[in-house]
Amino acid sequence: MLGPEVIFYSLVILLILVFLSVPIGISLGVASVIGVYLAYDDINIALSILGSTAYDSIRSHTLAVIPLFMLMGEVISRSGAAKDLYTLCDRVLYKLPGRLAAATVIGNAAFAAVSGVAIASAATFSRIAYPEMRRLSYKKSYALGVIAGSGSLGMLIPPSVLLIVWAILTEGSVGALFIAGVIPGLLLGFSFVIYCSITALINPSIAPPLDSMNVGKSYVMQRTELISGLGIISLIILVLGGIWAGFFTPTEAAGFGALGSIVLGYAKGMRSKEFKEAIYNAGRYTAPIMFLLIAGSMYARLLAVSGGITLIQELVIGTGLTPFGLILIMTLVWLLLGALIDSISDILLTVPIFAPIAISAGFDPIAFAIYGIIVIEAGLLTPPMGLLIFTVKSSVPDSSVTLGEIFKGSIPFWLLMLLVASLILFFPSLATWLPSLMF
Amino acid sequence: MTGRIAQTIHIVSACWVLVLGLIIFLDVLGRYFFSQPLLGATEIIKNSVVSITFLQLPLAIYRGGMIRSTILYDFFGKNMKRVLRTFASILGLLFFLGTAFSSWGPAVEALAVSEYEGEGALRVPTYPVRFLVFVTSLFAAYVYLHVILLDWTDRIESFIESADAT
Repeated sequence: MLGPEVIFYSLVILLILVFLSVPIGISLGVASVIGVYLAYDDINIALSILGSTAYDSIRSHTLAVIPLFMLMGEVISRSGAAKDLYTLCDRVLYKLPGRLAAATVIGNAAFAAVSGVAIASAATFSRIAYPEMRRLSYKKSYALGVIAGSGSLGMLIPPSVLLIVWAILTEGSVGALFIAGVIPGLLLGFSFVIYCSITALINPSIAPPLDSMNVGKSYVMQRTELISGLGIISLIILVLGGIWAGFFTPTEAAGFGALGSIVLGYAKGMRSKEFKEAIYNAGRYTAPIMFLLIAGSMYARLLAVSGGITLIQELVIGTGLTPFGLILIMTLVWLLLGALIDSISDILLTVPIFAPIAISAGFDPIAFAIYGIIVIEAGLLTPPMGLLIFTVKSSVPDSSVTLGEIFKGSIPFWLLMLLVASLILFFPSLATWLPSLMF
Repeated sequence: MTGRIAQTIHIVSACWVLVLGLIIFLDVLGRYFFSQPLLGATEIIKNSVVSITFLQLPLAIYRGGMIRSTILYDFFGKNMKRVLRTFASILGLLFFLGTAFSSWGPAVEALAVSEYEGEGALRVPTYPVRFLVFVTSLFAAYVYLHVILLDWTDRIESFIESADAT
């Protein structure tokens, strides 16, 4: 069977399986085996893709970053540092209109820099920030929107699992992509803070100002905040600074980060029971992600061996669409898929096809990656299935919260994400400048 | 019993991540301060990634932790949901049987021809990880079969709870 037909049939099978709620990794694997069978008409060749990919695809020094960063994020989540960070940001920003919302964004950005998963940030800050904002009479949808929107920073600010997966799939440098995410991540965080403050200034009823600080002033409180604040800043410098300065490879930075988080956890009072729980739980999230990577590699191999990718590229380029027309179509697909499936699966399904097309259309691979990740993250805020929305719904300690309220509150953040993504498209140096300075 | 095995190998693997962190720490310190990196660190790390993943898969399957889309699933009634879960488990079972089947030949061959990687003093044989992929894939296939059985006898939730409690 010819390449395009193989890809068409395997894609149809893949989508049917995904919508029948078959795990996405299994769907990718099954569709790949069927695709290779259709291409070669030989069941042994088709099955061989399973064993060889299972062994080869993740046997990589670089991929050790995923379990190590998962461990680091889990230890920090359990150390209580996120709550301290939030209080610290609140204390520093006390004069800013909508300061609790701004503290949520900045706390999320800092938490994102030591954790790799957006969902973890959204869940953590739903529990910490929502009750505080509601206590001070912040409008419900405003508070919920801030939490869901700023949760997306986790996937852009390194270390991020999405950046790692993208780099692996496109055979790019994990370190360069990490560093490339810094400026766009800060830009996005900054735009969120500006939005929170301006809306609070224009309409004080959604975030009533306070004359005095809300946070406690006891010495003990300040000391724990200091430990957490300094600890997290040290970890960020160790991990990102180490990579940027060329002192560490991403894997080495992840190793040091994981051990550093244990030191921070210990300083924050974690002991053997808490550490055991953190180590055990970190593992729960690692295997499903790594399995997706194995299955994604099977699908990528199918695309390669069937020769379909080249044909799809020629087909797309032959349509005469302008580069920005191409990007528009890709963006729509990402937003649609982002609303239906998780971000890693979204990347695994689309990037092997999209990245070569974008590069041949003249886009910079690093800027395109950052653009893609922001858009995919925006998809997580898109109805009907935006994953971040559901995470916030299930994590906020308030059963009266509706999905509609969270979606409504997230719309401005969704628009800001698309705005920042567009900026990167028009000014790729926002993403490429820092990596070009790497040692 | 199988739940206990899945949990034990998960714990071994989770602790191994911490050991990896220590190996990296010693390797970097050795390289920067004593100009002597840890021998075989790269090979150990590479192979550990595969081992960690496959050792954690069975518990992830028991817990229903594999990532999936529930967009249509949520609209179905209880019985249809069970049928869909069973369908997914059957495909999972076939997937891991296929993986085990196609891993066996290369594992035996790696043992027979003493396939190794790395250079110089430390050469790491590849057959242990290859056999590990074979054995854990076979176990994962069994776990999918067991999950079907537990699901149709309404015991899946109590099974997971008891595994977590231990």
